[in-house]
Amino acid sequence: MSEPKRLHPITSVINFLKSLKEFIAPFIIIFLFGGKGPGLDLWQMIFTASFIVLSLVGGILSWLRFTYRVEEGELRIESGLFVRKKRYIPFERIQSLDFSEGLLQRPFGLVTVKVETAGSSGLNNAEAVLTAIKKQDAVAIQDILTSVKRNQTQYREIEESDIVYTMKPSQLMLLASTSGGAGVVISASLAFILQFDELIPFEKVFKELQGYISNGIAFVSIALFLLFLLAWFIAVVGTMFKYAGFTVKRVEEDLVISRGLLEKRQLTIPLNRIQGILISENIIRQPIGYCSVYLESAGGSLEKNSSKTLLLPIIKKKEVAALLSPFLHDYCFSPELVPAPKRALKRYMFRGLLIPLIIAAAAIIFFRPWGFLSLVLIPFAAIWAFLNYKDAGWSLHQQQLTLTYRGIVKNTFYMRKNKIQSLTLARSPFQERQALGTIHATVKSGVGPSGGEVVDIEKQDCLTIYNWYTYQ
Amino acid sequence: MVLEPKNRISERALRVWRISGAVISAVFFLLAGGVIGLTIFFDWPIWISVTAIILFILSIYFFVILFPSLRWKRWRYEVREQEIELQHGLFVIKRTLVPMVRVQHVDTAQGPILRKYKLASVTVSTAATTHEIPALELSEAEEMRISISRLARVADEDV
Repeated sequence: MSEPKRLHPITSVINFLKSLKEFIAPFIIIFLFGGKGPGLDLWQMIFTASFIVLSLVGGILSWLRFTYRVEEGELRIESGLFVRKKRYIPFERIQSLDFSEGLLQRPFGLVTVKVETAGSSGLNNAEAVLTAIKKQDAVAIQDILTSVKRNQTQYREIEESDIVYTMKPSQLMLLASTSGGAGVVISASLAFILQFDELIPFEKVFKELQGYISNGIAFVSIALFLLFLLAWFIAVVGTMFKYAGFTVKRVEEDLVISRGLLEKRQLTIPLNRIQGILISENIIRQPIGYCSVYLESAGGSLEKNSSKTLLLPIIKKKEVAALLSPFLHDYCFSPELVPAPKRALKRYMFRGLLIPLIIAAAAIIFFRPWGFLSLVLIPFAAIWAFLNYKDAGWSLHQQQLTLTYRGIVKNTFYMRKNKIQSLTLARSPFQERQALGTIHATVKSGVGPSGGEVVDIEKQDCLTIYNWYTYQ
Repeated sequence: MVLEPKNRISERALRVWRISGAVISAVFFLLAGGVIGLTIFFDWPIWISVTAIILFILSIYFFVILFPSLRWKRWRYEVREQEIELQHGLFVIKRTLVPMVRVQHVDTAQGPILRKYKLASVTVSTAATTHEIPALELSEAEEMRISISRLARVADEDV
């Protein structure tokens, strides 16, 4: 396939839609503030029409200009409307090819191919993207890549692809129902509603609400319950679409993660670029023994807006070690943890309760009858603070540092000594007085740092970790 | 406690920090002046002016006197063959270890005040983090940059 090839014509539509999407914000501004009358005036019509036509023509032209070919061991891409761009990527430099199928690609049996090199580890920033090509063409490129790589290094003979994990429907259901996405839906819809506060007659609504409230607390609670149920349901459906068919495969020295129902996505993570492993257990999953596993990786493709890569969305915590050990054999998943000492509990409670107490006090002082409701916060804060204390811990196991700590979810961070970029030991005068300390370890994650921190462990333990890390 | 890192940063750093502190206090001075002006103009109660003046005086105490000397007293560093160790902090004291193998590059930088006092800061970057040693003697900073980059090159290893 050395002659230049074009992408599928649907690309022009995709290009068109993409440029429309980019300009949607300015458009809204123009329509909201530009016109004085209720309808569109002539200029707005002309402006809009010409913009749409230009985007369409631009989309088609950029599709016409875009060609790719495989030549002399390189993927050669030429593109550009006014400025001609040529990008030649040697196959040896390609770290991974990721296939994804968007809504527009699927009906035609097309895929989007993202070409990732070591230099392109930025978020959502591939070295090159082939927006829509036939599946067999994509596979052909993949085959060339594999054969080049095989010549380049002696790969151990492993089966072509080794399925590490597939999510069962029951697990998907469990994942969706325990994801905590309902909160996101509720806050998002609140934010959305608040956008229209000028249109909605809030005062009237409130007055009517007051009527209802006096009619009966039962009605209000049922209404609230239904609202939460709806939000939860939306979150469940969203999660299901996103994570349906979640599969992790091991292909030679890479992990390939694919997922999605409507839009299929694929990610590749080279095993030797893994910097650390993070297990998180949220408050619903922890009691039933389930957790999610994330990878911190220094390269390969990354998901949008997140430096961590979700490796196993939901799995029994007991099964993690058995599942990951075959290819992450350097890691020990059940080291013996040293907890924070008893005297740290006081500090954890203080930190956890300080702000809720202030809020409650302020609420009681300023909003007399209803302010007392804020006292409900206190027991929750206390439980949370206690959990924070209980989940703090650390462990050293040969070349591995394990830190456990809770933010909102409980995290267990496994790091190899040779992947830790820097280690910090901090102590405030208050900690000093009680011989406690804070330990913070940083690994590389994507283009930035990611770290684990355990507060208020024995000072002596801090020093043990410090001495383990130092070369002295 | 393990031995503290042995080197202190230049004593002239103290003067540089006091100057930058004075700049912050100057902002407080302007704000206080503004508030007093408004108080007189609008006939606000007197305690507002008093608070503004107290805040200004406190800002001088904290930013010009207390913080620089505390900061200077805490700052220690040591560059060893295989790692760099830093200790700093005002209230919370932080000690950081950066292994040489993790160092990606070293920079020296000089702002206008630092240049006047013939000082420079050294910034050490790993693949994920950056660490700054502020206000070293210019010659010492240069030397350190060269020696760290040499040591880091010897200990080359993939991320």
